[in-house]
Amino acid sequence: MNKQFEQIEKYIRSHCQADDYSLSISASDNHQTRFAQNGITQHIAGPRLDITLEVAFGQRTGSCSVNQDDEATLAYLVKTAEDIARLNRPDPEYLPSTGAQTLPDVNNSDPSTRELEPAEMVEIVQQAIDKAKAYGATVSGMTEKHVYEYCLFTKNGFAGSDSLTQFGHSMTLKKENVETKVSHEAKDFASFSLEQEFGRLLSQAESLLTMKDFDACKIPVILRPGAIGELLLYMGWMMNRRQSDEGFTPYTGQLGQPFFGEKFSLRSTLKEPRLYARPFDHEGIVSREISWVENGILQNMPTNRHWAKEKNAQPQMLFNYFVPGGEASEEEMMKLVPRGLIINRFWYIRTVDAKAGEFTGMTRDGVLYFEDGKVKNAVNNLRFNEIPHDATRRILALGKQELPFLYAYIPTMLIDNFNFVDKTTF
Amino acid sequence: MKYLDLAMNAAERLGAEYADIRVQKTTDEVIYLQNLSLKNTSNEVLYGYGIRFFRDGAWGFAHSNVFSDEAVLKTVSRASEIAALSASVNKDKKLRLAPERSYIAKYETPVKIDPRDVPMKEKVELMLEVNRTMLAFEGVKRAMFYLVMHRDEKFFGSTLGTRLELNTQWITPMITATAVYEGDSQSRSFNEGGKATGWEWIESLNLTEKAKQIAEEALIKVKAEPLGPEARRTLILDPVHLGLTMHESVGHATELDRVLGWEADYAGISFATPEKLKNYRYGSEIVNFVGDNTLNEGLATLGFDDDGVPGQKWHIIKDGILNEYGSTRDTAMEIGLEYSRGCNRATYYSDQPINRIPNLYLLPGTRELSPAELIADTEDGIYIQGQGSFSIDQHRVNFQFGGDFFWEIKNGKLFRPVKKVIYKSCNPEFWNSCDAICDERYWRPFGVINCGKGQPSQSARMTHGAATARFRNIRVGGSQ
Repeated sequence: MNKQFEQIEKYIRSHCQADDYSLSISASDNHQTRFAQNGITQHIAGPRLDITLEVAFGQRTGSCSVNQDDEATLAYLVKTAEDIARLNRPDPEYLPSTGAQTLPDVNNSDPSTRELEPAEMVEIVQQAIDKAKAYGATVSGMTEKHVYEYCLFTKNGFAGSDSLTQFGHSMTLKKENVETKVSHEAKDFASFSLEQEFGRLLSQAESLLTMKDFDACKIPVILRPGAIGELLLYMGWMMNRRQSDEGFTPYTGQLGQPFFGEKFSLRSTLKEPRLYARPFDHEGIVSREISWVENGILQNMPTNRHWAKEKNAQPQMLFNYFVPGGEASEEEMMKLVPRGLIINRFWYIRTVDAKAGEFTGMTRDGVLYFEDGKVKNAVNNLRFNEIPHDATRRILALGKQELPFLYAYIPTMLIDNFNFVDKTTF
Repeated sequence: MKYLDLAMNAAERLGAEYADIRVQKTTDEVIYLQNLSLKNTSNEVLYGYGIRFFRDGAWGFAHSNVFSDEAVLKTVSRASEIAALSASVNKDKKLRLAPERSYIAKYETPVKIDPRDVPMKEKVELMLEVNRTMLAFEGVKRAMFYLVMHRDEKFFGSTLGTRLELNTQWITPMITATAVYEGDSQSRSFNEGGKATGWEWIESLNLTEKAKQIAEEALIKVKAEPLGPEARRTLILDPVHLGLTMHESVGHATELDRVLGWEADYAGISFATPEKLKNYRYGSEIVNFVGDNTLNEGLATLGFDDDGVPGQKWHIIKDGILNEYGSTRDTAMEIGLEYSRGCNRATYYSDQPINRIPNLYLLPGTRELSPAELIADTEDGIYIQGQGSFSIDQHRVNFQFGGDFFWEIKNGKLFRPVKKVIYKSCNPEFWNSCDAICDERYWRPFGVINCGKGQPSQSARMTHGAATARFRNIRVGGSQ
């Protein structure tokens, strides 16, 4: 356990007079080099600290957060949280803090990221710019390193901590009308190869050179993991047990039902070492292997402690996205339908109709049109209005899993009749 | 504030061509009530300083939460080292800063009743009453009240000799009723965003009456018929709705850093490129957008920006023509401007400031016209109140918006409420289709409190404003 965290916890334990408390602390060291149009535009370094104390007198609750750990600030933290609670009205949904738990063994930290120096990060940026210039293009992106440590203590005996390292490097390349992006996000810096990432970027750029106008329509799509990951994030956010039980989401009354397509499963797992798996959440809900959707059947939904008690259910959280894949390559997928589009990423996804589970968004960073099993040309970006859970019923094939984000290990998907409704000018 | 001189003297010794320090304490008091349950009653304080160091055409930025001479000097040194690393890459791409003079000044948000002086019990009682009012309507299954009171206390010093003390604050109340009926669920909100003012605004709103209205309208909405298939229609948009439309399709499109491609990897770029300045028809002749960081109660009315540049007022779109951008000292020079419009803002002490949207509003129409007269003058159309779904492409061209409450207009009258309404349009078609704007009596502000941009992501605030306006021949239809 981090010594700084122990000292803060010791102070709170000896000074907090409340009937109950929950103390969360997170500390991070961060370095972010942001570049655009072949030059560095922002360059940021520094530590962060967040100390949040939630207290309760009976059912009266209060919370305070500070970012300093000197004694005067900690005294302010305790007094402010307690004063708020004393003056507050009772919360009918209040639950005492969680007690001691057995936590899973996870490893979210990697020495190669911890040891990465700013000069090495700037060298990566320099090399990316040199490669872009050699291609006659500009590159914009960010190289970042984060080292996080966090913990949760409660008066009722919960004590847990974890650390996470994160390395990220993204690049958007622009040459004339071609714009495309790759990004790499991992716990470990050691898995990063600029050669490989830039090769992928150039390959994408080359595929987009011949652009043709394309009108919105319903059409099969090959969604790469970056695109699927963004859609799943929104779908998962809506998959909330309480919201659904109260009638606000499309999942109302669907537990145990074949609500998704049978080719679709969604799990959270502690076993995939590349995925970030936090061992517990802010309520002290412990992460465990869980299947949310299995072969199309909605088996579980994220449930907080209060609602779990109301429904006599187990509290559980969606701590990462593991979607089992298949063996189909993009080439094989293209042969399964007469024509379609390959989508690299989505952008600006927003809810259109919460109850229906309908979202809108744009394609971004490259759309390819294929016909008769071969890529023919790039096309303009398109707007979709689509219901993701319904789209899973139209999955025709699954590819191998990839890690587009630290929280998602998911495959490429071939989905029939994806609903594009508009196009843009580029 | 002794650390200002200490840091700036150290920066000069280390060879800064320019440097600044921003000591900032941000306090957020948040109360969130849902169905009479207090989900969040909190007070958050973030206190520290950020130091920018500029040399050889490049920035370094370091921040710290430790206040001591040693920590300040160490942070200056770190910013200097980072700037040197940046400069090693920027040899062919040196940034330049637009000239600026020094200022010694203070600014404080005018407030009659400081929210901190209002007992929390009084705030919670008001919120409970509003919650109870909404839940008393049969069919309203969820009642929410979200209240934020935000305060920034800043000391700013730069190597230009500028020394500023800026104490600003804002407040935002948002209430939402969600109704469930025959398998559907629809929400209606009272949400005018934030205002740089005090508790007197909350007292003036009569939120209990507002709660009755939105609960009734949530029920009307959930029982309304869906609009149906897409067709070209006339739209009448209220000021709150237009606040979001202009934010996405004008505000972000005219941020100079996006125009320059500095957001290419994340938030996107802009179609409104510099060769279009002074000649591009962005909107019809009645469309005038003003950037105004002196606007009374405006969320970006802060006295000075985080470059130490004072608040200004200027035309961004004049008589429908793209006139100028929102700029910062480092973006302005890239297009040959010898001045900044003062749009550089950071969210917290630990954020490097970036080019943000100023307070930006649509000027009201010049002839007398009320929303009722505008509806009476519209044979067939859709009237949209409030904000809903929003999405726009990364060049700020194609967009789709929803809304919060919808009426179908027939023969100059509000004919029937409808639901599941979205419209699709693009720049410059949308603003060129504007054929009427109500007069200044009907101009209303909308304060955005959560404008996300940048990497690492920052959440900025600015105020928009408009009078109800009409747009012709827009693709309007139901969602799926």
